Amino acid sequence: MKNTFRTALALAAAGVLALTGCSDPGTDADTGGPVDWPAQDTDLTGTVLTIWAAQNSNTVPEGVVAGFEELTGAEVEIVTIPDPYEQGIQTKVATGDKPDLAFWQPTASQLTALNASQNLQPLDDAPWLDAYKPELRDITGILDDTRYAALITTPAVQGVYYNKEVFAANGVTDIPADWDSFVQLARDLKEDGVTPFHEMAADRWGTQWWVQVQLADATADGLWDRVNANEEQFTDPTVQDAIETYQGLIEEGLFNEDIKTATFEDQGAALLDGDAAMVMQVNSFFGQLQSLADTETLDRKIGFFPIAPSGNVGTFVPDQANALVAFKTGDAERESAARQLLSYWLGEGYEDFVNDQSTVSLQSDVETPADVPEALLSVSDSLADSVGSMQALAIANPDLYIYLADMIQGTKTPAEVAEATQSQFAELAKAQGAEGF
Amino acid sequence: MSTNTTLAKGAARRRRHDHPLWFLIPALAVLVVFFFVPTLFNFVYAFTDWSSFKSAIGFAGIDNFVSLFSNGTLLNALKVTLVYAVLVAVFQNVFGLALALLLERDTRVNRAVRVAFFIPVVMSALAVGYIFQALLKPDGALNGILGALFGTEMAIPWLGSTTWTIVVVAVIHAWKWMGLSMLIYLAGLKTIGEDVLEAARLDGADRWTMFRAIRFPLLAPAVTFNVATALLGSMNGFDIVQATTEGGPGGTTELLNIFIFRTFGQGLFAQATTMSLVLFLTVTILAFPVIRFLRKREDVL
Repeated sequence: MKNTFRTALALAAAGVLALTGCSDPGTDADTGGPVDWPAQDTDLTGTVLTIWAAQNSNTVPEGVVAGFEELTGAEVEIVTIPDPYEQGIQTKVATGDKPDLAFWQPTASQLTALNASQNLQPLDDAPWLDAYKPELRDITGILDDTRYAALITTPAVQGVYYNKEVFAANGVTDIPADWDSFVQLARDLKEDGVTPFHEMAADRWGTQWWVQVQLADATADGLWDRVNANEEQFTDPTVQDAIETYQGLIEEGLFNEDIKTATFEDQGAALLDGDAAMVMQVNSFFGQLQSLADTETLDRKIGFFPIAPSGNVGTFVPDQANALVAFKTGDAERESAARQLLSYWLGEGYEDFVNDQSTVSLQSDVETPADVPEALLSVSDSLADSVGSMQALAIANPDLYIYLADMIQGTKTPAEVAEATQSQFAELAKAQGAEGF
Repeated sequence: MSTNTTLAKGAARRRRHDHPLWFLIPALAVLVVFFFVPTLFNFVYAFTDWSSFKSAIGFAGIDNFVSLFSNGTLLNALKVTLVYAVLVAVFQNVFGLALALLLERDTRVNRAVRVAFFIPVVMSALAVGYIFQALLKPDGALNGILGALFGTEMAIPWLGSTTWTIVVVAVIHAWKWMGLSMLIYLAGLKTIGEDVLEAARLDGADRWTMFRAIRFPLLAPAVTFNVATALLGSMNGFDIVQATTEGGPGGTTELLNIFIFRTFGQGLFAQATTMSLVLFLTVTILAFPVIRFLRKREDVL
């Protein structure tokens, strides 16, 4: 009896082990040849498509999807994946769960994180590419010379949002043309009793922009290519100095007194009320301002200029709401329908989309609606000659912002920030199998 | 007595004949598939290079352990986790015992108040975290109340100190779970015989002596359970700290689970698994001596 039991147990264990073998459940890829792009109005009755969206992007596709459903008879479900969105999607995809389309940050690091060559449909010959304004066509969404993401709205740009009324009250007429005059302006404002900069170390994520904008010139010179190849590191002078400069500005007292506890919400209110003159931020900050004031007030009060060491160069950082990716689901019919939806979105449906969303148009033939605030137009104008951010160009996206927030709280020195960032970056690069790590 | 044992043995033998052991196989299969295999894989994946970046999973030896231990973040997170667990164990038991003693008598008011203190236990931990985060903000309700009491503007960042925030979040954790400790201490107090207490009273013991010399020692089983569950449960803490501080300020409340969550989110699945293995081992290593020590205390009785 005992022996039977033991045999049964052994058999059961062996069976389970044989069944489960050591493999990634997220693998089922076939790399097909060139794909066809169905006409935008091909009948799709009976086809059901799923779009994954985040809490802040789930209303973006509504109008487009309704138009597409009416035109083709397809059924499109928009599924909200709760925050943290990127983590949620990565986990789902790693365990074999995939939608047809998803909002996704179209950067090299985030496309790598999704294992793009295995999981995503290439969009290389997409019919809408020539409709883009030429300078925006290839700005992002490309990994290893293959296009995986379709850009639908203007990527965010890191730069300075300023309070026009505070500038006027202190006799500032020209916006600073380079880093030195930018810092000088801050010192002058401080002398006049104005808080020049506002930072929100309690919410942490905004801290990284200050370091990244200082790297714009180095980026143009190939900084991230060298970092990606492990030829240059975060601990080398280029990045290290930028971190130290940031800390120097904080220690000099150019920031708000409550820098350690201030939040994203505080930052919006502070700039709008004129408690601080300038904020280094990205587009989502303007979204925050829009929730606090109407377009007319914002046009009167808030301006934007990009900044870099050598001049007014922006650093762009596309986010999840800016683009979509199409998944290889293994179902040829649905994959083709997903491509068709993208063609419609950036084709016939695009004009309605930008009007519906009051957003800046990416296409030469589609007008930007008149109710887009001025600051956002400045942001979009700065895109043409902007350079990529760490998120856009580095193969991995380390938690630089957390370490910088630690520095502001006093638990890390600038050298430790660079070390922690580098070691995390190397860990991620190694996991990707990048050469040189 | 002897008849009893023979009877029991006979019954057991008969039962064995009624139900052959292979009847266990369906249940065992379920247990193996849904419990043993996932646990086993938690160990196996720690020795691989599983990540979201590629499809193949290769054996990586102790690579993950070496890089984790050479990088100070893991040790820091482990230290924070231990400090947090000890603080929670202390606060939760002090609060729970105090409540149990206060609400010991079975009056109608006490019953209602016990329910009130038990409500946080059944609340969502994330909700508790977000509520406290709102209360403790520099412009939050607590500072508002203090400001009104003292007649001055208060803007204390309760969750902003790199030294004291961990104490604050431990208190929040203890606040949430103190109702459960209270309940167990109340049950423990009920088991103490009235005759023992009466004898003590006749010997002239005052309330403090009664508590110190009789009631607290007799509560030993309840203390064992409460301390062990609070200590080992809070080693696995995540939700409350994530909702209040996300590991900040300056990484001083970054529990191991928050670190694991962050690593997993980066797509480094194998490293995250390695950390959860480290956490599992730490909890195990800690559990045995703690429980043995607490059980020894019970034997003294």
